[in-house]
Amino acid sequence: MGVEGFADSRPLTLGIELELQLVNSHDYDLVGAAPDLLRDLERQKLKMDVKPEMTMSMIEMATGVCDDYNDALGQLTEIRDALVTSADRLNIGICGGGTHAFQRWGERKIFDKERFNYLSELYGYLAKQFTIFGQHVHIGCPGPDVALYVLHGLSRYIPHFIAMSASSPFVQGDDTGFQSARLNSVFAFPLSGRAPFVETWSDFGRYFEKMAATGVVKTMKDFYWDIRPKPEYGTVEVRVMDTPLTVKRAAQIAAYIQSLARYLMVERPFRPVEDDYLVYTFNRFQACRFGYSGTYVDPRSHEHRSIAEDMLQTFERIEQHAIELHADGACRALRDDVVAGHNDASQLRAAWRTTRALPEVVQGQCDRWRA
Amino acid sequence: MVFQFLPAWPPQFSETMRIAIVLVVAGLAGEGVARLVRLPRISGYSLVGLLLGPSLFGWFSAADVASLRIVIDLALALLLFELGIRVDLRWFRANPWILAASVAEACLAFIGTFTVLRLMGATPGFAAAVAAIAIGTSPAVVMRVAAELRAEGQVTQRLFVLTALNVLYSVVLSKLIVGGMHGVFRSDWMAAVLHPVYLLAGSLLVGTVLALAFRLLRRSFDLADEQAAAVLFGLLLLALSLLQALALPTMLAPLLAGVLVRSWDRRPHLWPRHCGTAGGMLVILFFVLTGVTLTGKDIAAGGMAALALIAVRLLGKGAGVALFGPRSGLSLRQTLALALALLPMSGVAFLLAEDIRSLYPEFGARVGAVVLSMIAVLELVGPIAVQWALKFTKETKEGPR
Repeated sequence: MGVEGFADSRPLTLGIELELQLVNSHDYDLVGAAPDLLRDLERQKLKMDVKPEMTMSMIEMATGVCDDYNDALGQLTEIRDALVTSADRLNIGICGGGTHAFQRWGERKIFDKERFNYLSELYGYLAKQFTIFGQHVHIGCPGPDVALYVLHGLSRYIPHFIAMSASSPFVQGDDTGFQSARLNSVFAFPLSGRAPFVETWSDFGRYFEKMAATGVVKTMKDFYWDIRPKPEYGTVEVRVMDTPLTVKRAAQIAAYIQSLARYLMVERPFRPVEDDYLVYTFNRFQACRFGYSGTYVDPRSHEHRSIAEDMLQTFERIEQHAIELHADGACRALRDDVVAGHNDASQLRAAWRTTRALPEVVQGQCDRWRA
Repeated sequence: MVFQFLPAWPPQFSETMRIAIVLVVAGLAGEGVARLVRLPRISGYSLVGLLLGPSLFGWFSAADVASLRIVIDLALALLLFELGIRVDLRWFRANPWILAASVAEACLAFIGTFTVLRLMGATPGFAAAVAAIAIGTSPAVVMRVAAELRAEGQVTQRLFVLTALNVLYSVVLSKLIVGGMHGVFRSDWMAAVLHPVYLLAGSLLVGTVLALAFRLLRRSFDLADEQAAAVLFGLLLLALSLLQALALPTMLAPLLAGVLVRSWDRRPHLWPRHCGTAGGMLVILFFVLTGVTLTGKDIAAGGMAALALIAVRLLGKGAGVALFGPRSGLSLRQTLALALALLPMSGVAFLLAEDIRSLYPEFGARVGAVVLSMIAVLELVGPIAVQWALKFTKETKEGPR
């Protein structure tokens, strides 16, 4: 029962998965419309990757392999438009955002599929609490050892990804004070957190075998790590982001991760060590709680600065790589938002302050998603 | 002489006493029905009405119902307004098949009941009057059962929209037929044309005024406030008095007002929480009173004819929904459930029959007999059908709220 071989993939190609919320158009609570939406999409007879997720009010859309930012944005837009057409036919709303603002987890229903039923059986209410919506980004790697290098290299930038995607300030009807409260739900899972510090695929194989021998895991899918290798695609997968409110921002974030990956692969700026992870959960928490203005502790110099400062430095450092990948426009847009202090969480809070009604906030999310 | 402070014996109870007892008994019966046999509460209310009505215990008479008509009107107005708010006209543009299904189910239900009545030897006018009333699904039953189960989903949504539309068709058609009767019975063809026009235009006007008033209300109150509920009740009562003073039907204006509110302002219009409690009391009385109007005599008179009409109505509605259900995005399971959920008939049908009777007592009494015997069956079966349909499609919510 070893870990599978690491598939070939074109280095630095992109893939994006977005988990989306399905809401009714009456009070904008979640609605179990995934089967309806999937059925209606079939009617459109388009070839696109849209799948059910854990509960009936979620779906996941995914691009194919994308070359660059423009390709990714084009694919995301095409799928988005098809989803919006179907949602309109069913009179339901569809939107981004890491959490639904006021749904009650107890009212969720598990999507009837073998794996989801198994997970629900295993995790109990955690499965229903897992009605949260994330963005996953795959980066193609030339080989498994490079993939592990990129994995450990990217882990110090996790706070950036969280701060720029954060869109889950409200949970179960209340303002949590967090910018991304979604990740708190992920933490409840026993196999969440970070990947073990192994640097070669053979070491990783040994780790996986030991874990499998304990009976705790069966496949790579059982690990809910923030970044994990995806051997069957030949990629590393970054999973800490909230689903942004627009496909544009989703594509921008992917382009940023792609540029960082190129910087790591080409320049090999540092050799990762286990001690890099000493500050990992602290930094991650700061990003979830405070976004750009959270504290970032440099894993090597132990210098404290704001996450925004660290991001601005990073934008500068990777600029040339972004240009090579045609991702410089996307990175510039993200950079402008960091300078202005804008992200989706701040937008949602602003909407709450003007409307004083969470259903209207969710309605606004649906409008943003189609724009 | 000693001042007589003791009451006369036996004591004389006022009207309030009877209503109080009805509320207590019906509330308990609804709860009992819900817990013991897991049927919708409103089935319990109707049953209590049936038992207390003239046919059995005789606690209430038809005259009492007439005097409490305002309760029926207000409860219905509240539900119709809420139903109207659930109708989003934009949906029809994105999915015209919904409209197609609506027209088909209404037409087929009309044609079906009309044909069966003709086969039984009814005159065309009589058959048309009954068939027009049979088009409508009971908004009260649909709204209450869905609310009780906290249902949400494709079937629930479409059930609301199709109900709103078929009530609209039913009322309009019924008023047109009343117009026709002016021509037939009085040879007054002027009135035949002008009366329906007056009724429909008047309803639209009052509906518009009500919608404008509600917009003002939303601007000055948070709808979750207690005061908002009180003011809303007041507005509806005001509209009802206006409608009565102008001799307009009470069912159309609140429904149109709801639709207008929704199309003017697409923000979610969440119902005032306190409407729940007060509205709930009205609903109990509403169903008890509609239960009271049914008598064993009616049921017997309608008898087999009513059953045949119910069957053909169900068939017509089912065929109409099935014709366009899958094309409009429903699964087969959902199509079946929706077809069945359109079954209930209740307050609106009763009021339409009453309106005919007030104009043409003899003809109206015959229409009323058939309609009431259909209601008698569907009052009890209808809620169960809706409940089954929503559970069958897993659109209900469990857990406390």
